[in-house]
Amino acid sequence: MIDYDLQLKLQAHLDGELSPAEARGIQARLARDPEARALLAELTATTAALADFEDGRRLPESREFFWSKIEREIHRDASSASPSAALPWWAGWRRWLVPIGTAAMVALAGLMATRPGLAPEAEAELADPGAFTYRDYTARTTLVWLSYPAEKEFPADDGSDTMD
Amino acid sequence: MTEKDHSSSEDPALVRAAQRGDMAAFEELVARHRDKVFARAFSMVRNEEEAVDLSQEAWVKGWQRLPQFLGESSFGTWITRIIINLCLDHLRKQKRQRFESIEAMDEESGGVERQMPVVTPNPTVNLERQELRKRIDQALGQLSHEHRTVLVLHEFEEMEYKEIAKTMGCSIGTVMSRLFYARRKMAALLANLRRDDLT
Repeated sequence: MIDYDLQLKLQAHLDGELSPAEARGIQARLARDPEARALLAELTATTAALADFEDGRRLPESREFFWSKIEREIHRDASSASPSAALPWWAGWRRWLVPIGTAAMVALAGLMATRPGLAPEAEAELADPGAFTYRDYTARTTLVWLSYPAEKEFPADDGSDTMD
Repeated sequence: MTEKDHSSSEDPALVRAAQRGDMAAFEELVARHRDKVFARAFSMVRNEEEAVDLSQEAWVKGWQRLPQFLGESSFGTWITRIIINLCLDHLRKQKRQRFESIEAMDEESGGVERQMPVVTPNPTVNLERQELRKRIDQALGQLSHEHRTVLVLHEFEEMEYKEIAKTMGCSIGTVMSRLFYARRKMAALLANLRRDDLT
């Protein structure tokens, strides 16, 4: 029986993967070894049978249905990958405005507390942690800071990226 | 407003239009290549439902990666590489979830393919085309996914050993060994031989 190394070389010869020198060596071996020739013939026949095998399998879904699934996935991925694209330009800054605004309120309240007269107040409503109130009684001023968008601040979702 | 009819456009023109965001052009590409992509997925995973899901995933990835497609190969070749890689990932995940197949164990333990007698005469010679196709399909289904994948990549995608090794993440020696086993096993299966008959 021919050894495994030669078996693989015969296959590589069939596939055109040998160097010219190695190919010459295999040709010489084939000329004198009927077992090697038989194996090469078997490998060649299998390759030829497969080469003729064209799998005509067709996708078992209609063009419209298959595309609708792909289109939906594309829209879904696009919206989840870059949600900022659907928001106004300043929306990205909003997360910084809230802590900066809070810090400014506290600093202002501290500053006013050190001044004589009726001190202003800055407070966060417990019932609504997103709202901060600043009151200056001497100036008769009340400011309310909301950290969330007002109703209908963002355009309504057109529904194009929703899942059924 | 009417959509542009892309049915008469060549693939490169459709690709360029799709790269500019024209989804109708991309839909035409999907329609043209979807059967080939599905057939390749099926040839690797041998399950229709999984092949459909993987095909869909390949097309979504194709759209996402379209800006990276430079036209160095045909679009058909490019999208086929995407489905092949997805199938390989899928099969690797499956393999982690279950035991090694009998075929793979045989390969590890020394390989019966080395001792198989040569199949002569050529068992496919007198077969009707339809019968041959049926037998090949059945035989492919009996190979382990490693052997089947090597065979598919070499015989149907016409990849060289080096490219298969890179795609599958293994050595060229492993590719040669798996391909040899797969071919010999196919020869035996096409001749309707059983393993018991071979020993």
